[in-house]
Amino acid sequence: MMKQYLRLGLILAAFAVAACVGLAFVYAATSDQIAANQDKQLNESLKGLFPDAEGFKDVTADMTALAGESKLETAYVATRSGAVLGLAIKAHGPSYGGPATVLVGMGTDRRIVGVRILAISDTPGLGLNAANPTYYVKKAEKITFTGQFAGKLVTDGFVVKQDVDAITASTITSRSITAIVKASADSGESWIERNALGGN
Amino acid sequence: MKRLWNVFKQGIIYENPLLMLLIGLCSALAVTTNVSNGIGMGLAMTFVLLFSEIIISAFRKVIPNSIRMPIFIIVIAAFTTIIDYVMQAYFPELSKSMGVFIPLIVVNCIIMGRVEAFSYKKGVLDCVADSLGMGLGYTWVLVAIAAIRELLGNGTFAGIQVMPASYQPILFFTLSPGGFLVFALFISFNIWLKGRVGKARAGRDIVKEDAA
Repeated sequence: MMKQYLRLGLILAAFAVAACVGLAFVYAATSDQIAANQDKQLNESLKGLFPDAEGFKDVTADMTALAGESKLETAYVATRSGAVLGLAIKAHGPSYGGPATVLVGMGTDRRIVGVRILAISDTPGLGLNAANPTYYVKKAEKITFTGQFAGKLVTDGFVVKQDVDAITASTITSRSITAIVKASADSGESWIERNALGGN
Repeated sequence: MKRLWNVFKQGIIYENPLLMLLIGLCSALAVTTNVSNGIGMGLAMTFVLLFSEIIISAFRKVIPNSIRMPIFIIVIAAFTTIIDYVMQAYFPELSKSMGVFIPLIVVNCIIMGRVEAFSYKKGVLDCVADSLGMGLGYTWVLVAIAAIRELLGNGTFAGIQVMPASYQPILFFTLSPGGFLVFALFISFNIWLKGRVGKARAGRDIVKEDAA
């Protein structure tokens, strides 16, 4: 009986080991490419927010925690010949279909430079329109949902359906993304305050 | 060769996993909001099915009956993880838009069902034919459902705008109820077609008997 158990256990172990070895090889072959893809996406988004920047410095450790359910991932300072242009904050928070990751760019004048959605898993055709570059909340001016945050002061109102235009039939997504943007911007403002770059 | 062709045909039409066996439906309904997702999911699924069936068929003599399930799961999970890594590395956009459904291939009933019912009993060549038939049978149905849902629900095909700009997309088709409706229409059409083909065949047989 004992021998039988041992035999089954060994067979199972043999399959598990073989599977692990196979996976290890595939992981080793693809991990660099996966990391490069993620870096590339982040870099493109950072460049998109601060096209004039020459370098980005990781300042995640200096940031204050985000309000509400939003969680800070990383933060970068965009610089050009030594001068600080602004701050890019990558944060995630709960949305309708799972966590959404958002990159918020903020200038030293405390205005939002732009907002990029890096990951979102909401309903296609509804909440997913938050990341759709051809879905306009203001059709006449061709302003997208994330586009409407550009130029907004941190101290402005962030109430959906009053200060922020919502995506049709996706109030939850609209509120969630707005909450992440607001929390990130607040944290960014406090960094700018502490580093005395605010000017006026 | 004829035998393998017959096995292959089973999956495409007569025993189509989605339309006839009615297994693996959750992911099928969830990813069919656009055509590229349908193709990606179908091919990822075919890859996992093909290699899992080959491995399990090749080792079926040394897999004890009492622990076959955990071994199947190990093999299926390994290949699912491989395709997940490969897609993240080389098709990042597709991988992003399909999200959690690629890792969930592990628990897709089609794979477990085929491995248990077919490859644990049959030879490697039969398994290749069966997995390709089942995989492509799954893929074509996904693409067909996705094409209708994307066209009506979003006005596009594989991301390209085909409907005139004045077309107001019917969101219903992109949402789950629309998925159920389109899928149900496919099943009814298939059953109707099967009935007609069956009758025609029966009629032919009668004619043959008469002639004899």
